[in-house]
Amino acid sequence: MNCMSRSALIASAVFGTLSITSAQAQVSDPLEPVNRGFFALNEFLDTVAFKPIATVYNTVLPKPVRTGVSNVFSNLDDAFISVNHALQGRGKDSANSLGRVLINSTIGLGGLFDIATDQGLQKGEGDFGQTLGVWGVGAGPYIVLPVLGPSNARETVGRVARIASDPRTYMPDVWSYSLVGAEYIQYKADNLENLNLLDSSSLDKYGFMRTVYMQRRDALVTSGRAAAGAP
Amino acid sequence: MTLLRNAVFAAFSILLMALPAQAQSSAEDLVRRMAAEVTSEVRKNPALVNSQTQLAALVERRLMPRFDFDRITQLAMGRNWPKASGAEQRQVVAEFSKLLVRTYSNALASLKDLDVEVRDSRKNGNDVTVRTQMIGRPKPVAIDYSLSNAGGGWHVYDVTVEGVSLVTAYRDEFNTLVSSSGVTGLIAALKQKNGK
Repeated sequence: MNCMSRSALIASAVFGTLSITSAQAQVSDPLEPVNRGFFALNEFLDTVAFKPIATVYNTVLPKPVRTGVSNVFSNLDDAFISVNHALQGRGKDSANSLGRVLINSTIGLGGLFDIATDQGLQKGEGDFGQTLGVWGVGAGPYIVLPVLGPSNARETVGRVARIASDPRTYMPDVWSYSLVGAEYIQYKADNLENLNLLDSSSLDKYGFMRTVYMQRRDALVTSGRAAAGAP
Repeated sequence: MTLLRNAVFAAFSILLMALPAQAQSSAEDLVRRMAAEVTSEVRKNPALVNSQTQLAALVERRLMPRFDFDRITQLAMGRNWPKASGAEQRQVVAEFSKLLVRTYSNALASLKDLDVEVRDSRKNGNDVTVRTQMIGRPKPVAIDYSLSNAGGGWHVYDVTVEGVSLVTAYRDEFNTLVSSSGVTGLIAALKQKNGK
């Protein structure tokens, strides 16, 4: 072996180690061709429908109304967060989220106002996907769902569990669709700036979203495990 | 003699224990100072957040001198770094820095609440990770800064937002680009992104 190739080998070994310390291997994405198809569809829908609707929504409705709508959905979500924290064995966190639901549903007028945060009960993070992760279920391959966007095998199962347990699923169709639709538009409106940021900072948006999503879900499971392990 | 030796030993161990603690606190101080500087500039001139160029100037002046772009780029390129020539490496560093300045300025523009609170820091070999949270509704955003000190003071080499590492996020993209169109392809893609 000549000197050049040896130093290249050493260099790559050194940098290889460096990269391992701050990142995992590349994300598993065996469904990439299908995923890219749905990704393109979602991009198209965002451009022609959801982003314009969210922009109009943000322009037409005054900020207090938007915050109120956002709070109502956030309050419903807190109930699920509480259930999931309980399933993860996080009694204290579960009680915190339950306390938020009780305060915001009553004094907060059905969740319109987030009084609980003012009272020092901070909003938590939790969902069925995280619970499965805390229980030891792996993330599985990356999946892009139509309209809903980035997911993976575990989170897709979590989503199905959420839909099955959401009261809106069992309402008459008109109510069910309008409430779910309203939450979706609210979500897009809340994240409009982030969506634009993603556009301006990524070289390959598909790959960027995939890495960011998988890292984020990993971090949620890790923090869930840590919280469950703490007494 | 034994007493003296013991005293010297004790003094030494105290010094050794104090050193890393001091290193950590100076890294924390740097993060605190960066946050305070940006916050005060934005508070003095709230219209700033509406101007892309002014924000970019602020980021370049206040934050960028504290970022180790060579290391950030090296980490983001991972195993592809040694494949690039010296000139290519410098080009990637230059273009990637530009992209990051813009990303940062855009991120700043979308932040309404700028109050940053340093939670704690952890030592990791020679590096320190300073954990902060940005106070905002409905919940605080966790931002961790990874810093190293290679002689010229503390410099940030990665930022992790809610568990998402900037370096890792770009590494996949860089990898894909380099394997499909080489280091030249990566440079071209960065240039194209910056040109927009």
